Amino acid sequence: MTKNKFTIALAGNANVGKSVIFNQLTGLHQHIGNWPGKTIEKAEGTLHFKGYTIDIIDLPGIYSLSTFSIEELISREYIAVERPDLVINIVDASVLERNLFFSLQLLELETPMIIVLNQMDMAKKKGINFDHEKLQKLLGIPVIPTVAISGIGIYDLLEKSVEVIEGREKIKPAKAKYGKEVEERVEKIARMVEKTQFRYPARWVAIKLLEGDEEVEKEILKINPKIVSAAEKLAREIEEIHGHSCSTVITSERYEVASKIAQEVQEIMPQIKPPMRERIHALTTHRIFGYPIMAISLLSIFYFIFTFGDHASGLLGDLFYGLEPIFKIVLGTGIVGELIWGGVIEGIIAGVTIALPYILPFYLILYFFEDSGYLSRIAFLMDNLMHKIGLHGKAFIPIMLSFGCNVPGCLGCRIMETKRERLLAAFVVTLIPCAATTVIILGLVGAFVGIQWALALYIINLLIILLLGRLAFKALPGEPTALIMEMHDYRVPHLQTVLKQTWFRLMEFVKIAFPLIIVGSLVIKLVEVINLLEPIANVLSLVTVTWLGLPVITGITLIFGVLRKELTLIMLATLLETTNFAEVMTPVQMIVFTLVAMLYIPCIATIAALVKEVGWKKALFITVFEVVFAILVGGIAFRLLMLVY
Amino acid sequence: MELRLTELRDGESGIINSIKVSRGGGQGKRRRVRRGWGFRKRLEDMGLTPGTRVRVVKSAPFHGPLEVYVRGSRLAIGRGMAERIFVEVKR
Repeated sequence: MTKNKFTIALAGNANVGKSVIFNQLTGLHQHIGNWPGKTIEKAEGTLHFKGYTIDIIDLPGIYSLSTFSIEELISREYIAVERPDLVINIVDASVLERNLFFSLQLLELETPMIIVLNQMDMAKKKGINFDHEKLQKLLGIPVIPTVAISGIGIYDLLEKSVEVIEGREKIKPAKAKYGKEVEERVEKIARMVEKTQFRYPARWVAIKLLEGDEEVEKEILKINPKIVSAAEKLAREIEEIHGHSCSTVITSERYEVASKIAQEVQEIMPQIKPPMRERIHALTTHRIFGYPIMAISLLSIFYFIFTFGDHASGLLGDLFYGLEPIFKIVLGTGIVGELIWGGVIEGIIAGVTIALPYILPFYLILYFFEDSGYLSRIAFLMDNLMHKIGLHGKAFIPIMLSFGCNVPGCLGCRIMETKRERLLAAFVVTLIPCAATTVIILGLVGAFVGIQWALALYIINLLIILLLGRLAFKALPGEPTALIMEMHDYRVPHLQTVLKQTWFRLMEFVKIAFPLIIVGSLVIKLVEVINLLEPIANVLSLVTVTWLGLPVITGITLIFGVLRKELTLIMLATLLETTNFAEVMTPVQMIVFTLVAMLYIPCIATIAALVKEVGWKKALFITVFEVVFAILVGGIAFRLLMLVY
Repeated sequence: MELRLTELRDGESGIINSIKVSRGGGQGKRRRVRRGWGFRKRLEDMGLTPGTRVRVVKSAPFHGPLEVYVRGSRLAIGRGMAERIFVEVKR
């Protein structure tokens, strides 16, 4: 029977051009979902080639197949259990040794495989010459040299893939041979494992057992505990012979094989003068100049996005509201018309006026930075500061995003390696004053109380983040992970890949945020139409008036702020029928109000993103905590400020 | 002589001797061994295995992470991690 539908998985280290190849192969026929039951992204795409329909799965970029991160676990489960028809291992030709270390592990999974030797242009610039046919011979599988960003070699890759899948090209994958002591013991365990019909290859299981892999141990323990104890004994023997832990011995030997292969197939010409990218690297990570360069680039980006966003957002708003009379005529002025306009359509407008002017340029610049390699340099510079709140350098990236909008910040927490750090980072992110919060701080306190008070509030917010971050870090069980990250060479970003990433992120934002913004604004409109706003405000007055010392009306505006934080300010103006807040609120009230608005709740879209990243229980907990915390801080601030004013 | 990776001068290189994970050393409780396992495995998976030459390029200020060169690629390693990597250096 001949199939005409195949599955190919792309696997490889991070930053080897895997997503570029994925884009080259699938074009726009891709969609991004989640791995079942995980918050890890799964990118899938389809393509048609020579009468075949080929599904492409883009596995996460990883360095090993141990169980350190969820990504590694997902990848090996997928390859071993789902058994794709072919695995394409994408290798960065300019860092061959490290990449081959991963290739050898993939080969141990005994899956049909092709190697793509990508970024040949970079390797050439670094003075590295390849004998890819020799590599092919040594590994026993096809090796295709490519320069993915210019599309070179992609067609060859597809042709070869089909040949391998059809069985026209016979492959004989090589196995990494370990030292005699290890090899004998691997074989011994493998023979025991073979009888168990376990879903992974026996040799692989044997190696993993010797390495002390927890997941594999757990599974084998269920099938036959004798194998595990035998493996433990054999692992101890290896430890005694080599004087290092067994997993160290195996990893070292695997790297040795990778290193030997790399040396045999490449020839490196020494470079005469440091190339441009090296000088840029040195400058952007410089112990003195690195920081001002970072500050200037980030500030100018924020400045650009805010001025552009403000302008574009205003234009879009005018455009939509220009349509209001037409809608009013079509929908009528009855209760239904009111609900559709004030609920649904205004919700959509709110969403569009954030997504297009702010989120879109934000993502675009972010992906340019990421693809070029600058983000990893920022993480390098900020690692130390992030340790103060129990995180490491990479966490600065979602935090930086959050100053624009908490939603991408929350979604960006995915780059953290462990669950614990994702949660911690997500928590910190929701406390960051986003663009909307900044509008409130500047528009109310900055304009009517004084800019020094606005600044003070900003600083208080940052101190609170530092404090709560530290507390959460202490309270959460588990070990902190330190930074270990590759800083790949600077390169020119691939425009198409950046655009596609931006597009898919934007769609993700729309999917998460829009339904909630629309439903939320509909609910609030409904409450308003049936005249429940005031009763609710009166109930809330226990908190707003008695505890916080604010006008009754603020209860309503704080409810609206759940949709979008700047609505608290807009509603305040609407309900008080003035934009001169000084007439209706005292400076203390304004400060307290802003403080509460700043801390009280991540907006509804952020809550949705939070649910997606950490699950609804933790999201609910964080939300409730922040509401209670904001009210508490607000009340205390009110009493303290009364002493001053 | 043996030094911690963090004690190397900028531009100096050495050969990795070992990565020490638990202070007690040797036969700790299983759990403790486990905790160190992931930590060490991660460094080793990135190519920092015993016997490997590693060069410290520089470190970020205020006790920040180290930039090292190993196996043809550039890594950033948090200081806490780098402190536990012991290297043999000729001085």
